[in-house]
This record gives sequence, structure tokens and C-alpha cells, in this order.
Amino acid sequence: MIASSEMPETKKSQGFLYEMNKHKILYLMCAPGLIVLILFCYVPFAGVWMAFTDFNVVDGIFGSKFVWFDNFKYFFSKNSMGWRVTYNTLVINFWGIILGIIVPITIAVLLNEIRGKAFKKLTQSMMFFPYFISWVVVGAIIYGIFSSDVGVANGILGWFGMEPIRWYSEPKYWKEIIILANVWKWSGYSSIIYLAAMSNFDGSLYEAAKVDGANKLQQIFRLTIPMLKPTVIVLTLLSVGRIFYGDFGMIYGIVGNNPVLGDEVTIIDTYVYQSMRTLGFSYSTAIGLLQSVMGLILITLANGVAKKVNDGEGLF
Amino acid sequence: MHRNGWLNDRFVTGFAYLFIALFAMMCLYPLLLTVSVSFSSEQAITKNGYSIIPQEFSLDTYRYIFANSGGRILRSYGVTIFVTIAGTLGALLLTSMVAYALSIKKLRYRNIIAFICNFTIIFSAGLIPWYIVNVNYYGLKNSVLALIVPSLFNVWNMFLLRTYFAHISPSLYEAAEVDGANHFTIYWKVALPLSKTALLTVGLMYALQYWNDWWHALIFINDRDLFPLQYFLYNILSNVNAISSGRIPSGASGSITLPAETVKMAVTIITIGPILFLYPFVQKYFVQGIMTGAVKE
Repeated sequence: MIASSEMPETKKSQGFLYEMNKHKILYLMCAPGLIVLILFCYVPFAGVWMAFTDFNVVDGIFGSKFVWFDNFKYFFSKNSMGWRVTYNTLVINFWGIILGIIVPITIAVLLNEIRGKAFKKLTQSMMFFPYFISWVVVGAIIYGIFSSDVGVANGILGWFGMEPIRWYSEPKYWKEIIILANVWKWSGYSSIIYLAAMSNFDGSLYEAAKVDGANKLQQIFRLTIPMLKPTVIVLTLLSVGRIFYGDFGMIYGIVGNNPVLGDEVTIIDTYVYQSMRTLGFSYSTAIGLLQSVMGLILITLANGVAKKVNDGEGLF
Repeated sequence: MHRNGWLNDRFVTGFAYLFIALFAMMCLYPLLLTVSVSFSSEQAITKNGYSIIPQEFSLDTYRYIFANSGGRILRSYGVTIFVTIAGTLGALLLTSMVAYALSIKKLRYRNIIAFICNFTIIFSAGLIPWYIVNVNYYGLKNSVLALIVPSLFNVWNMFLLRTYFAHISPSLYEAAEVDGANHFTIYWKVALPLSKTALLTVGLMYALQYWNDWWHALIFINDRDLFPLQYFLYNILSNVNAISSGRIPSGASGSITLPAETVKMAVTIITIGPILFLYPFVQKYFVQGIMTGAVKE
């Protein structure tokens, strides 16, 4: 359509260098951010090689002996903590996901029923507070509740005439404590996301439901919750995709390096950190890689599912 | 039937007030407990245990802390404040520049850049290679930069900001372009001033992340002069619960002096002090920012 003499011109205008030159300011603006990503996310990929070697400092990453999958084999062997820490990670994350749906949605739905503005504002800022503090501070608070001599929990047990429990030497309670602490910390924040979704719902639907004689419970279960479903699905799939990743800060902030509780609360992330010192760089790298690969598979699957149920809207 | 429905609604509303009040109390209770213990006298606490009302109100604990390790705490405060300010400003600049560029639809390679960002969320090399690169090649061991640089660019925050920038009317940009402004000028003079809520929200997220970070210190910092506040607190607490597990023989724990109960709680309060102080002011904007961000997505 265009005169033939102009053809090369248009071709040239679509070239890489032409685009770079035309929008050089925009690309330059991306540069600092991308450099940080390259330095801290992409360069370390080279080190993944260590997972397949028996790393020693003298020979360096690429000079050390290549041992194929030996490091991975050890993770699943009987004398390693592999299965144990995988189980811990999955259990803690599983309950974290379930309660992380139920509690924030309950809060959001009930907050929506409350008309008193001042009450709403006050309680919402109280519930938001845990989001603002670090896991170390949460750890201090948990110590205040569960320490054997002065803790609140033993005080309450005392009222009921029960024997005090030495919580910090009883591993069996700590999965629950960590799961609840996690829910406690995030619920206020997550409920805001659901409240935001709810503020977008069509008010006339509720009016119509009222005219039809639906009571509040029916409105909640027939309107609010079904309309929240897409948001819930996306957020849940996102956390399912990350089920092999644990929160290092949460575990270390709450139980620190307490050796007695280790069996119950060591997750893959803290295990990697601990094995770095005792079992060496290669082995820890292998576990980290295993975790990343599982994560990649799961998040890709989750994304596919999200696209199916949400009309092509995926996680990314 | 109708009356029944009315009763039912009253019940739901009543339950809502009750549940929310209880949960809100559960969120605030530990804070009140911590404050109360820090203002109590040590003897009363060892005798009666923790309680939400200060026992034998005293400021002795705070006096003791500032007399004995005041220098250390102030030093840690300095580290944390520096890291938080430098980190937040740097991160906001880097993040918003990429976010702005990716919000311009004319930019042909923006999908490739977005993919480069996204891929880091779904796949990472893991802790050990990351650690080795940082320590052996970038020399971040015992450097204050280790607390700042690795977290300068958060991909989630970048996408959040991009959503805001993408909603600014293109005609504003066009008008600026006609006036001869280049993209950096438009970003600086048009896009940023129009996105104050978003910048405040993301800025607060970064500030909170830097203020609360102790993980980078655990991994990179041995030098006590560079301990941020949270790591200072972590050090006090981490030995405590190992000892209270009872596994460490009494002889060994004898050489480590356990910090007194009130001291632990007072240091905790000192650590969250500024957050408590700023909380009432920033909370409102934060909620607003997250709400709009969540809706737009």
C-alpha cells in the first residue's frame, strides 16, 4: 500500500536499536531497578551448579567434583531430616492457608454488618496492628504468654487448678502456636483486601434481596460469599503455589534456635540455613533448588487453574 | 415469620459486634501486656507473673536499660533509622521509575521487562548461592549496604504502582509532551504528584520492611556496631528461649545472665516505639491505599 521506496524505512523503524533510541529515557529509567534484579536474583543462578557438586573452597564452584544427584538423594535418605522438614512446611502452610481464608473473610463480612462508624474504625485499627510489628516482636509477645514462670498461659491454667506446662520444652504444642500466630498477624491486613472487594459489589442486588425477604444470614451466604469467590480463589492459588516456601522470619523470630523444638518447627527454609553450617554448601543449595523447582511447577499449575476459573485472568 | 427474620438479623448484628470486639481485643492485648510489664517492678513480676495492669508502677527498667546499654540502643536506633530512610527513598525511586516506564503502552519491550521481573517471583536460586554471591563477590559481609541494597526493588510493589500509573489519563501526558517535556520530566512532574496515595502506601510498605528487617542482619552482620534495632532485640531473646527449654545444663546457663523479664519487654517497646507513635497517623492512609490498590487490580 505504501510506496515501495518507503518499505526499508518502516522496517528500520521497527528495529531494536531504533526502539532503544526512541524511548531511551524510558529504558534508562528501568535500568537501575533491573540492575538490582540482575545482581541479586539472576547472578546467583550460576551458583545453582553447586547443587550437583561436592563443593570445597579450594577448587571453587566450578572446580569442585561433580557428583550428579547425590546431594538430592541424601535429602530423601533415612538419616536426613528431609521428609520431616517437608512435612512440617506443608502442615504449617496448609493450616495457614485454611485459617488465612476463614478468619479474614469472617472479619470482613462481619465488619460489613457493623454500622457504628467509630466502633468500626477503632476495631479495625486494633486488628491492623499486628501487621506492623516484626516477627521478633511477635516472638517476644509469645514468650510473654508462654514462658513457664511468669507467662500468662500458665497463669490461666493455674486459675483452673491445672499444672503449669513448660511450653518451651514441649515441642508438641508449637506447630499450633506458630499457625495461630501467623493467623493473628495477617488477619487484619487480609480482611482489608476482602473489604475492598466487597465495597465494589452492586448495592442494588442487596436491595432486591431485601425486598424478596432475605434476612442478613441469607444475604451473606447467597450474595456476599459467592461474589467473593474469585478473590478467594486467586489468593488461595497464590498461596498454594508457595506451599513449599515457609516464612524464615516467622520460625526464627518465634522459636529462635531452640534445639528442643527443632523437630516440630524446622521448615525447609530454616533447614537450608542450618545445614549450611553443618552439612555444607552443596547440600543446602540442592535443597533450595528442589524447593524452587517444586515451587515453579506448583505456581505454573496454579496459574493455569486460575486462568480457567477466572475467565483468562491469571495470577500473572 | 417476619418477626423471626427480624430477630435473626438482630442476632447476626449482635454476633458481628461481639466477634469483632473480641478479635480486636486479641490483637491489642499482647501490646498492652508488653507495655504494662515494661512499666512494672521486676520483683512484682517474678512474684505474680505478667499482667495487663502494671504492678508497682516504676520506670526503673527503662532507667536501667539506658544507663547500662543506652549507647548500644541509640547506636542500633541510628542504624535502623538510616537504613529505613535511605532504603525507602531509594526503593521508591527505583520502583516507581520502572513502574512508570512499564505503564507506557508505546514501550515495545515492556512485556519482556515485565517478564524479567515476574520470573524472579516464581523462581529463585535459593539462599546459599544468593549468600555466596553477596559475600564473596559483592563484599556485603558486615556492610550496612547489605541491609539496604538487596531489598531495593520489590516486584509486587512495582506492579502495584504500575496499576496506579496506568490509570492516569493519557491526555495529561500528551499535553506535557506537546509542551516538549521528555518522559523523565513527565514522570517527575505529572505522574508522581498525581499518585501520592499510592506512593505513600508503597513507601510505608518499604519503610515497614526496612524497619522490621533483622533477617539480613542475622545473615550478614557480625559487627555489633551495625546491629539494627530488631536484631538487637532478637539477640536478647534468642538465648532466652533456648535456655528456658531446659536442655542447656544449669552450669552453662549460669555464665549467661538472663535478662530480667521487665527488661525484655521494655526493649520490645523501645523497638516498636516509633511505629506506635506513627501508627495512628499513617494507618488511615495505609488502609485507603491498600483498598484502592486491591480494587484496581
